[in-house]
Amino acid sequence: MVMASEDEVSLLVIVVDVNPIWWGQQANREPQFTLSKCLDAVMVMGNSHLVMTRTNKLAIIASHCQESHFLYPCKLWKSGDGHGDDNASTSGDGKYELLSVANDFIAEEIKNLMSRTEVKGNQTDTLLAGSLAKALCYIHRVAKELEAGQEIKSRILVVKAAEDCALQYMNFMNVIFAAQKQSILIDACVLDSDSGLLQQACDITGGLYLKIPQKIALAQYLLWVFLPDSDQRSQLVLPPPVHVDYRAACFCHRNLIEIGYVCSVCLSIFCNFSPICTTCE
Amino acid sequence: MAALSEEVLLVVKRVRQRKQDGTLYLMAERIAWGPEGKDRFTVSHLYADIRCQKISPDGKAKIQLQLVLHTGESTNLHFSNESTALKDRDAAKDLLQQLLPKFKKRANKELEEKNRMLQEDPVLFQLYKDLVVCQVISAEEFWANRLSINNVDHSLSNNKQEVGISAAFLADIRPQTDGCNGLRYNLTSDIIESIFRTYPAVKQKYGENVPHNLTEKEFWTRFFQSHYFHRDRINTGLQDIFSECAKLDEKGLKSMVFQGVKNPMVDLLSLEDKSLEEGYGSNSTAPSTSNTNKTVKENSNSAIIKRFNHHSTMVLAAGSGKKADAPNGQACETSSTDGNSRDSDFFQPPIKKVKIQDVIEYEDLHRENGKKTVALNLKKSDRYSHGPVPLLPQQYTTSQDIVNSVNCIKHEIASYKPCLTQVMSSSTASSAIAALSPGGVLMQALAQQAINQMVPNDVQEEMKHLYTAAGELLRHFWSCFPVNTPFLEEKVVKMRSNLERFQMTKLRPFQEKVQRQYLSTNLTGHLEDMFQMAYNKFHAWQTRRMMRKT
Repeated sequence: MVMASEDEVSLLVIVVDVNPIWWGQQANREPQFTLSKCLDAVMVMGNSHLVMTRTNKLAIIASHCQESHFLYPCKLWKSGDGHGDDNASTSGDGKYELLSVANDFIAEEIKNLMSRTEVKGNQTDTLLAGSLAKALCYIHRVAKELEAGQEIKSRILVVKAAEDCALQYMNFMNVIFAAQKQSILIDACVLDSDSGLLQQACDITGGLYLKIPQKIALAQYLLWVFLPDSDQRSQLVLPPPVHVDYRAACFCHRNLIEIGYVCSVCLSIFCNFSPICTTCE
Repeated sequence: MAALSEEVLLVVKRVRQRKQDGTLYLMAERIAWGPEGKDRFTVSHLYADIRCQKISPDGKAKIQLQLVLHTGESTNLHFSNESTALKDRDAAKDLLQQLLPKFKKRANKELEEKNRMLQEDPVLFQLYKDLVVCQVISAEEFWANRLSINNVDHSLSNNKQEVGISAAFLADIRPQTDGCNGLRYNLTSDIIESIFRTYPAVKQKYGENVPHNLTEKEFWTRFFQSHYFHRDRINTGLQDIFSECAKLDEKGLKSMVFQGVKNPMVDLLSLEDKSLEEGYGSNSTAPSTSNTNKTVKENSNSAIIKRFNHHSTMVLAAGSGKKADAPNGQACETSSTDGNSRDSDFFQPPIKKVKIQDVIEYEDLHRENGKKTVALNLKKSDRYSHGPVPLLPQQYTTSQDIVNSVNCIKHEIASYKPCLTQVMSSSTASSAIAALSPGGVLMQALAQQAINQMVPNDVQEEMKHLYTAAGELLRHFWSCFPVNTPFLEEKVVKMRSNLERFQMTKLRPFQEKVQRQYLSTNLTGHLEDMFQMAYNKFHAWQTRRMMRKT
């Protein structure tokens, strides 16, 4: 293992998909693995990352269908150090205080987030692209606030539950390319259904994509596969990369095609030739 | 037979070849010999075919000339005219000596070119070996495409680059003493060209006087003798062809000084010598450019300095490539060769501005000017929101489902308390580890070894050669279509047989070798497919041709 020096900061941003509709249904499908268990596993992952090196940083974003919310660090962190200590969630188990405070904050925040959920029929998709964008902005901000001489290496871990939302395609691709430009890895741990967008994201940025067979063992998968950073991964034997289907779908039928016709003005893809493009004419 | 348009350079009578009397004719491109009395030439060789000529030694009775061809054959010519045999033979030999090199270069150059190409590119060399040496394809076809490319390159690179003039070219002439009070000047054509480019007045004089009045040697002798060339240019008023040049130079220099330097950043006048007071500095009187007030020594000093300046400006002007014909022309150049004065000479302020801007700005650091963008008019812009993503079956949730789920979750999370000591049981953890270990459920893809690790290196190399050779043959084959001319028809048929031959001689043995080594991978499948496609195309073309004919 490479010993990180004081100068190297490793930032891990975990984006957790907390789509209430999916998780609510999941509670009925598989009662032994609910959102609480998932959050526990994510917390274990976060704690492990903070404990690996003193200079490691962590951020957790909850990706909801109405907003993307930072579970950790939260705004009260810096200013509220005072009354954080008063309520002394000294868990009494001798845990590293940073971890116990962090865990409490996360629990607090998720409760607040869920309690203010409103039921809306037209918003059922997880706002994943937005959460990723917020993650990128946070990484950018932390990179700017570094002390002189410190370098930062960051990665984003996405824990995905619900299905892909095709409407977020453009934003998603923008996020992916922005991350690639900034050399930020995007890893994906998929619980239920394969996500083509995340597969592309991992392939383009150099991260790992894994669809786990057993949801209850989530913590083990996270620790084994996603805890090491990119330098260490080259020394480990990890699941091989998935074959990504980069075929585009034609705009007229939404079928995947291998050879198509592209409009030179608006770049829309069609499976049949037609002299006038239906998108831009 | 001799073509009517051929130019006959030399005719030699009484030349015997193979014990027959005849006449030798030297033409523009070939040498030919015909027997006496007959009209035809029995022997005719192109100069390009002749490798060299040999003559019999001087002491021998028989005066002979031998022509050796590239192929190794030789032809002996015996000059049998009693009186003029030696002269004839020498005349023929001299002419041949002049003509042969011209033709020799052309033939050799091609061969040299080919050799060079083969040596430089090992892939090409390998291809050549595979195809031409093994007689799969003829050498002409091989070189057909490649040579033409190279010839084009050569003609392009022949654009002459202008050579600058060394400022010291006059000094480089370096006179050598001749032993008895004379001086030898070594003039090369380079130096002469430099002199002409720098001092166009001299060129003019040369054009006027040589070769009518003076020979070249005399011209240059006078040039070096004249005071024009020497340091102390005291116009003694001698009747010298170069005294006019001196006057022209003076005029040119004066006009240059008058023009001044167009660089607003440089103030040459401030560099004058200024004396502080009497006794400090040079003269109390203001310096002037007139010659009268000065002593002889100062006069010659200023003359030398003037000549230096003039010489430098002339060299610069000539080196910048502009044609300097008249003194006025020279004057204009001095203003444009310094600095970046692109604007016309009339406007002082813009030049200064341009110069200042040049110094303070760097082009690449400029912010990109907002490019004119064209707005995209979309009739169906919602297509952009989903992009080229296939339509996947979406799960439909009823509103009742939604409400239930949300309530369920709210309820669950409201009482959430992290319990990190019981995240999972050890059995689930170990099963997850098993899945992640090599051989586990998630690691199946790793079991397939990369093919390039299983196949030995020499087999890989041979495959690469096969692919290059096959690619070359297939390229020749496919370039014949569409078959328009009878030449292409022949070529297509030939290429088909070539392909078959290649398959037999190279591909099959390789396949067998691979199989013998128990490599189960199908390395030649793709090559076979390509060949099969070519055969199919040929077959289709052939049947179509048959149908057209019947």
